[in-house]
Amino acid sequence: MRLYVYCLVEKIDRLTATIRGISAAPVRLITIEDFQLLVSDFEGDAPPPVTRENVLAHDAVVRTVLNHATPLPFRFGTVPTEAQLRSYITTHRDALEAKLAQVRGCVEMSVKIISDTDETESGWKKDDLSPGTAFLQQKQRELLGSERRAEEAKQVAAWLESQVGEYVRQEDVNLCPTEKLIVAAAHLIAREKIAEYRGRLAEARKTRPELHFLVSGPWPPYSFSNIELEFKTRFGVS
Amino acid sequence: MSSPFDQVLIQSDVEQLEQADLSLLETLDHVLNRGLVIAGEITISVADIDLIFLGLNVLLSSVETANEVIKKRG
Repeated sequence: MRLYVYCLVEKIDRLTATIRGISAAPVRLITIEDFQLLVSDFEGDAPPPVTRENVLAHDAVVRTVLNHATPLPFRFGTVPTEAQLRSYITTHRDALEAKLAQVRGCVEMSVKIISDTDETESGWKKDDLSPGTAFLQQKQRELLGSERRAEEAKQVAAWLESQVGEYVRQEDVNLCPTEKLIVAAAHLIAREKIAEYRGRLAEARKTRPELHFLVSGPWPPYSFSNIELEFKTRFGVS
Repeated sequence: MSSPFDQVLIQSDVEQLEQADLSLLETLDHVLNRGLVIAGEITISVADIDLIFLGLNVLLSSVETANEVIKKRG
């Protein structure tokens, strides 16, 4: 028997209502090393398939405690045995405590910025070209376009930071993930600052009508939970 | 199951996508790409995918791509 693990949380004594998780399994609270974890029993060894229902169930369970505490969400599909889970918690106890302290009292806001500007075609002749020349011109356009996107992404990220940085306790910013989406930022915001943050962001958006914004939240701090990735980042190995 | 999106505020200038689709894409991004990982424990099956998941890792990709996938789904 394995456990499906939703999140780790602190200072939750009991669940106030019956919660159903993946495959409608009842969610229960277990305690390991002073941490509480929301889990449900899970049959089989392979993680559950990625379906709309399962993904929403995972997030819904994590959100059940969000109003009372800030959880550290596990990634979808975490199905260790209880022994493996206990070993993980015991081994990483200090890192988990530090991580909980980082996110305590905060939620995550997500800001994605999309640019529709397409400068790659401007200034280029579309005369009849040999296939080889057309190919090389296309590659050159792509390269120049990519460089412009990277520069634009840097500028937009810096602008975003200048607008809302005072409210951001921690951030995770990806620049230029694709041609259209130039900035994807996750902001860790103190709960009491959410209204101010939203207000400032709304004002800032008005000044950049050429950009599209996708703003969502509050989320449990999914982007600020993983201690393994930080280890990899810091030491270059996982 | 109650919708988790009651608590999710979406503000979008991109009108091609329904709010529910955007909410789902955002949930996918958070739930599948982020969160605590127990090393060696994550092997997500992509079988029986019924929605936008082919665009999952490109979810952050572009609204354009997402929109195409959603149209195909619909």
